[in-house]
Formats: sequence, structure tokens, C-alpha cells
Amino acid sequence: MFSQLKSRFGSGLAVGIIGMIAIWLIGMVILPQLLMVDYSFRPNLLPADIGGPKDTYSLVNYETLFSNKIHLAIFFKTIWSSVLVTGLTLVVSYPIAFYLAKVATPQKAALCLLLLIIPFWINEILRTFSWYIILAYKGPLNALLLGLGLIDRPIRFLSGDGGVLIGMVYAYILFMIFPIYNAIESLDTNQIKAARNLGAGWIRTHWRVVIPHAKPGIATGCIMTFMLAAGSYAVPALLGSPGSRWFTQIIYNWFFEGGDWNQGAAYAFLLLVICIGFIALVMRVFKVGLGDIAK
Amino acid sequence: MDSSVHLDNTVMQFGDFTAIQKTDLTIQSGEFFSFLGPSGCGKTTILNMISGFIDPTQGDIKIGGKSMRGVPANKRPTSMIFQNLALFPLMTVAENIEFGLEVRGVSKSERKKASDRLLELVALEGSGTKKVSELSGGQRQRIAIARALAVEPQVLLLDEPLSALDLKLRQHMRTELKAIQRKTGITFIYITHDQGEALTMSDRVAVMSAGRIQQVADPITLYKDPHTAFVASFVGENNGVSGKVVAANSDLVVLDCGPLGKLSGRSHGNVAVGADATLFIRPEHFRLQAEDGMHTLGATIDEVNFEGAYLTLNAKTPADQALSIQLGTHQFSESLKKGAPVSLSYNEQDAIVIAGEGHV
Repeated sequence: MFSQLKSRFGSGLAVGIIGMIAIWLIGMVILPQLLMVDYSFRPNLLPADIGGPKDTYSLVNYETLFSNKIHLAIFFKTIWSSVLVTGLTLVVSYPIAFYLAKVATPQKAALCLLLLIIPFWINEILRTFSWYIILAYKGPLNALLLGLGLIDRPIRFLSGDGGVLIGMVYAYILFMIFPIYNAIESLDTNQIKAARNLGAGWIRTHWRVVIPHAKPGIATGCIMTFMLAAGSYAVPALLGSPGSRWFTQIIYNWFFEGGDWNQGAAYAFLLLVICIGFIALVMRVFKVGLGDIAK
Repeated sequence: MDSSVHLDNTVMQFGDFTAIQKTDLTIQSGEFFSFLGPSGCGKTTILNMISGFIDPTQGDIKIGGKSMRGVPANKRPTSMIFQNLALFPLMTVAENIEFGLEVRGVSKSERKKASDRLLELVALEGSGTKKVSELSGGQRQRIAIARALAVEPQVLLLDEPLSALDLKLRQHMRTELKAIQRKTGITFIYITHDQGEALTMSDRVAVMSAGRIQQVADPITLYKDPHTAFVASFVGENNGVSGKVVAANSDLVVLDCGPLGKLSGRSHGNVAVGADATLFIRPEHFRLQAEDGMHTLGATIDEVNFEGAYLTLNAKTPADQALSIQLGTHQFSESLKKGAPVSLSYNEQDAIVIAGEGHV
């Protein structure tokens, strides 16, 4: 890499570019992470005791999660709900992505993409708040359903996990649509026609031709959505009730309300490990490599 | 089984644009039928209508006498070979061939039997487990044929499937396609802009231009008896000389061609005295020596090209009209050179008079 940069920009600029990348990577990504790993293995001490005889490495912070039944339940619920969010987002996004890539005329596709993107020009917190309003007990959605006679009395969308799921599916839909859209768009339309021509119905055409082709895109979308959902803070904080807390909220509490950074770091790392495990699983299930995803 | 295809007063419009003008045409069961025309003439639209990817705006498509209106593409007894073949790259060769049978719920062992038989038909025994990407262009071509035949269609639709192959392979595949058609006896509908392909393989050819079928005939008739100026100049090479009709009796027409004098040729009886018309003479019908009953026109040689077995001359008439002449190489003499005058004779039975200006 250095020799390429050197031949193009000269050695001075090449050293500068590499140096800046190195500072960014080491100083802002790797070192803070390592510091957090270090924190997570040490006890939470008063400043005077740091470096003293009590400051020893142990797994105590990690054990806390497994001994605290409530935290453990929230941990697994977060993972499970993120899987659910990922699945729901996939189900919603795939037809949209297929429509945009293969069915819509270029003008319609451009219009739809614009309509999908415009809401994302607004801050995530505000967007989530708008869902808070829509889903409120006396909000417009309940009013509409009541007006249509579909329900007898308003539903408390925001008391369980429902509001969080809806909010997250909405918040991360673009991260799912775009990779799938890109993948499907690169499929030769004649492949779809050929499958139809050989007698395949729509379900089989998708199952045997479109989805296998779009697999890397689907995997990328699932991974991104899962990571964002598992690491989300704003959506569960706003749309969730005390009964549907997210694991990120527990981590936040350890850091900023409990003041126990060591405990928070251990929790954060457990979440990271599970997420990496999930990615590895998805990649294995979809039989895609890192190279396919980077495309 | 009746596998005829009937375009029953079919019209296809896309918005304001009429892709296919009203067409009524029957393709016989078991026929090798070609649609020949330049790109954009609507021939692919016809294929898409027959296969069910689009429905005609008016009229109907009938296959084996049954109306196909509202029958989706996956329920029609047709099978298509795409221009880019559209083999499934993520499946093996055998999976490709068996796809249509898999869709129909045929058991695995039956599918295997069918794909083995088809691989044998296209002379690619034992390549079932290969990936599509491991095959050469010609082999892929044959797999596409096998895949299309696997579903035992009544009608096989071919969308310029040979255009991506090199010349040698293309000529070889022509013979093979014809042989497969004879062996299977199903109706082949072939789309091409290459007249060589259309003329060598087809039982009948429909020449198309601007969404309209100009003429439907067997290849020889098409070449010898074009009905429109478009067919006359699109199929094979032709020289058009325009003039005014001065006499028309039964099938012989005399034109006044200005500085070229009076010339005559055959017609189909649809030219009126006093109207504009064009006389078409093929390059190979010119002679240097006039025989009894021949017509002669004078010209000046522009260029002489030696092509091996024959010579082509480019010449200009006194009316500044370009002519192309093909002569046997034995007729070459020193007097045939650039700028020299030449007198060209033709037999009036070899020339065709078609009404109109003749510019297409």
C-alpha cells in the first residue's frame, strides 16, 4: 500500500496519509477498545485504590450478568428481539427492493427511493418521536383503527415490545433495502424470464433464482440491521416502556447512573461477542464470505 | 399434436407507440418459421407476446387453437432460448436442464433420466455436474437448447441465440438447430436480423419492418419475388432504378427511367400507368454481353473489387445512380477499370417492378 501511495503522491504525502489513517485507527478505534477490555477485567474502585493491592484482574464483572437474572433475561431478550427485528425488516424490505430493482420504471424507482430517503434526512431521535406520537394511546393510529371499526378500544402499542419493533424496523429499513436492491439489480432480468418461461411460479422463481443471487445482499442487510438493532439505544428508550428494556439501556445505566465503568465495559463486551457470533452464524447459514459482503 | 401458432389480428401498443401493427398470421405446426428484420422492427415484441411476457393490446395469440389471453408465461406450452441464453449461473448444467421438470414436480430419478437423454441429444454427455461457467460458448448454447427442450414445449422460441457465437460455430449451430427441429418435430419460431440464418434454416420467413409484416414466404420466393421495396432491398443485395410506368400488361411493366431509357421487368400487377415505380435488379443478374430480348443500360465504372470466385463492380448510371454488379471472375478483362464505360444487360424476367419510389 505504501509503495502504491508513494508512487502516486511522493513519499512525504504518502507518510502523511498513512500516518493519519494510523492515528485514526490506533488512537480512536483500537486503543479505546483495548482500554475498555482492560476496564472490564478490573474492579470498580475509588480513585485512591487504583493501582493498589485491590486492583487485580478477575472475571467478576462478567459473572455479574450471569448471576443477575433480570439482566440476563434482558440480554437474551435483546438478542432475540434483534433477530425478530432483522427478520421483520427482511420481510418488509425484500419486496420493496425487488420492486425497485426489477418491476418499477426508472422514474418510479427514483421517486420511491427519494420517498424512502427523505425521512432519513431528519434526526433519528425526531423520527422515533414521530412514531411515539403515531403510536400513542390517543394517537392517530388508534383513532384511525377506531374510526374504521377494526378495534373497540385503543391499543397500548407503547407498553410492550410492539412499539420498539415497529420503530426499529422503520429505523433500519434502508440498511436492509439498499444491499438487497443492489444485489437484485445486478441480476439479469432474462434469468427471471427464463425461470417463468420454464414454468416456475413467482414463489419458486424467487426461491431458486432471485434469492440465491441476492444472498450476499440479504446477508449484508441482515448483519447491519442486527448490529444496529442490538446496539440501539434511542428507539427502545423512547418507544419502549419500563417493561421492555433493551440491554444497551442497562449498559448505559452502569456507565452513567451506576458510575461503574468496569461493569458497563464487561456488559458491552458480552454484547459485542454475541453480535460477532451472530454475524459468523449468518455468514455460515447464507454461505457467504467476507469478500461477498464487502462488494 | 397441434402446435400451430396463430397471431389473431394482434396489435401491440406501448403508450402512443404501436410496436406491432395489426397482424394476422398462422405458423404451421412443426414449421421452422423465422421473423427477419432490422433491430427495432418489433420482432422481439412478437416473441414476448407468444411467450406471455406481455399481452397484446388487441387481438389474441392462439397456440394449438387455444386462446392464450390471460394465460401467464409459466403456464404456456412455449419455451424460449434467450439471446444471452440466461442459463442459471448458480446451478449445475444438469440442474439447469432439470429446472423446468423440477417445477412440474417430476421425481428426481425421472429428471436425471431426462437430463441424460437431452445431454446426449446435444452431444454433451457427462457434463451434467459441471458448472455453467466451465463451459465454452458453443456448449452453453447447446445447454440452453437442452434446457428449453426439457419441458417438451409445443413451440420453441429462439431470440437470436446465435448472435454471440463466432462465424464457424454459428454455421455449425445452424445445421444442428435444423437437425434438432427435424428430430423433435416441434414448431420453431426464430427471431433474427441475420438474413443468412433466416434463409438457410427456415421453412418460411416473415420479413418485418416498423412493426409491420412485409411479406411471408419461403426463402427462395422471398429472394426471387419480393413484394415490397423493403423486402427487395433488405433480403440480399439489390439495385433499385426509379422511373414512371408507361405500360403495364398482365405481369410485364415498362418504366421510363429518364436518361436510362425504357426498362422493363416483372410485376405483381399492382402498378398503374403513370405512377412512380422502382425496378429492382440483383447484382448477379447483370451481363456484359446482351443476348436476345435483354435490356441494356449504360454506366461508368467506379470501382472494381476482386473477391476470389467473383468480381464486384460499383458503377454509376448517367442519372447518377449507384449500381452494384457481380460477375464471374472468368469475365474479367483489362477493359474493366475505373472510369471506363460499361454496358449492362439483364433479362426482364429477372427484374421486379415495385410501385413507389423505392427508397426505404
